[in-house]
Amino acid sequence: MQKQSEIDDGFGRSVRYRRVTVVFSVLAVLLVVLSAVNLCVGSLNVPIEDVWAILFGQQTDSTNYQVIWSIRLPRLISAALLGGALALSGFLPQTFFNNPIAGPFILGISSGAKLVVALVMIVIVGGSGVMTSGMMVISAFVGSLIAMLFVLLVSRRINSMSMLIVAGVMIGYICSAATDFLITFASDANIVNLKNWSLGSFSGANWNDIGIMTVVVIAASAAVFCLSKPIGAFQLGEQYARSMGVNIRAFRIALILLSSLLAAMVTAFAGPISFVGIAVPHVIKRALGTSKPLVVIPGAFLGGAIFCLFCDLIARCVFAPTEVSISAVTAIFGAPIVISILLKREKARR
Amino acid sequence: MERPVYLETKNLIVGYDGVPLISDVNIQLHAGEILTLIGPNGAGKSTILKSIVGYLESLGGAVFISGKPVKELSAHELSLELSVMLTERMRTELLTCADIVETGRYPYTGRLGILDDEDRQKVREAMDMVHVWDLRDRDFMQISDGQRQRILLARAIAQEPHIIMLDEPTNYLDIHYEIELLNVLRRLVRTRDVAVIMSLHELPLARKVSDYVMCIKGDGVVAAGPPADIFVPEVINELYDLEPGVFDPISGNIRLEEE
Repeated sequence: MQKQSEIDDGFGRSVRYRRVTVVFSVLAVLLVVLSAVNLCVGSLNVPIEDVWAILFGQQTDSTNYQVIWSIRLPRLISAALLGGALALSGFLPQTFFNNPIAGPFILGISSGAKLVVALVMIVIVGGSGVMTSGMMVISAFVGSLIAMLFVLLVSRRINSMSMLIVAGVMIGYICSAATDFLITFASDANIVNLKNWSLGSFSGANWNDIGIMTVVVIAASAAVFCLSKPIGAFQLGEQYARSMGVNIRAFRIALILLSSLLAAMVTAFAGPISFVGIAVPHVIKRALGTSKPLVVIPGAFLGGAIFCLFCDLIARCVFAPTEVSISAVTAIFGAPIVISILLKREKARR
Repeated sequence: MERPVYLETKNLIVGYDGVPLISDVNIQLHAGEILTLIGPNGAGKSTILKSIVGYLESLGGAVFISGKPVKELSAHELSLELSVMLTERMRTELLTCADIVETGRYPYTGRLGILDDEDRQKVREAMDMVHVWDLRDRDFMQISDGQRQRILLARAIAQEPHIIMLDEPTNYLDIHYEIELLNVLRRLVRTRDVAVIMSLHELPLARKVSDYVMCIKGDGVVAAGPPADIFVPEVINELYDLEPGVFDPISGNIRLEEE
């Protein structure tokens, strides 16, 4: 017999305290270890004791100090924050469309953001202006919102989940093609900017960017967490959610804005990154043994951060000094998980 | 003592996309009563139910819940008055049956939806009432359709509304669970003074369980009244376009062509 307190907890019956504690402990340990490795390893290996000393203000004059403070630490923070944002920006449309393989990349939302950023970059930078981080974020947000609204429009007309994904992929292709056109007609200086960015990388964030990123990502993620309750109701379908007292219109708008904003942050600062939004929430749900948003949301954020730290480590170290695009690495680890989701669903249908 | 009227519609007109399908629906449902809508497939029983709760925009007339116009109730206020059990198949992921029933407590929990002891007690009571407490830790996707229906009924009960609305609740159920489900509904109206409005296909069951029956066909309500007035050959034959003598609405006997 299990103890009553263990069975009947207030989070929801499928949420087992012990299992949740174990999973979150493992995630926390992984986050710390991967952060340490990311700071130590690279073209210049810095011993862990030195990293410690540098972080707490000693050895301020060494090369290592420069490497840690102006390259690795900002990169680490942006990989972790944007990874968390990516996982949540996948979890939200998955709930919304009741479709486990929905995500910002597959639905064409990242590509929409990319197109508008490219457009603004060429027009503004081409007009000799400077593209500030704030402008990047805003144009990415506008782009992802437009793509998201387009997907919603399509989803009203079709009922099939697979068709929705196909429509999203097509939107992604259209946006990518348009981006390619823009690049063709852009001047050389712009191309260098664009090419680097559109490949996808966590590098290149300065401390100013990190500030913007931290504020927006943390605020948006906290807002998502506060929506745990209606998201949980929505898992039973829109009509049940409504019958429980969810204001569907307000909830939908909040969900669309938040997932577009999170996807836009990632696209603005790191370029389009694939599969994290699908693979991470899926793995976290399996690990926790529940899909209750109250635990899945923080779990997915941590999981996304860990996954992106891991992938970034591979992206910059395996073929060093050449850097692989981050999206290539996330796809290698993420795509098989998506295939396994599809196979499992097919099996469940029989 | 006069029982309170929980649900009332006045000249309600329902339909899709602005095209009226059924007009002049007048319902007056008191606490402790069961109203059943019957009629041929596609006659619009579900359309009426969906229009009452506002899932479909009604095209005319008015709906009152506990005396208040439903349009003036917020989603939260409505959830305290009325809970639903729908026919649409639901696809969940890694949720146990108890998780599903617990969502019935949604209107009563705080910002993050964490259940307290009282909520858990209500969930337990609702699950006991429908005899599904044994299923509490099973995955909702890995039980039979009939079990899922019962879990969803427990969910509707746990919400503790005045009115429970059920759209074809006996779909997917075998005769054993059909009877059990209707027994639960009767117990519910007797012990908790809940009002029930539902649509049903099985005429013998509708006759047994209902206090009032409303017949829907074509563009309107063709007959309404207590079961004794409705389950007579004239009304039923007219409602379902049956030849006289083919179906006996009281015994449920049918006669085939060869006989």
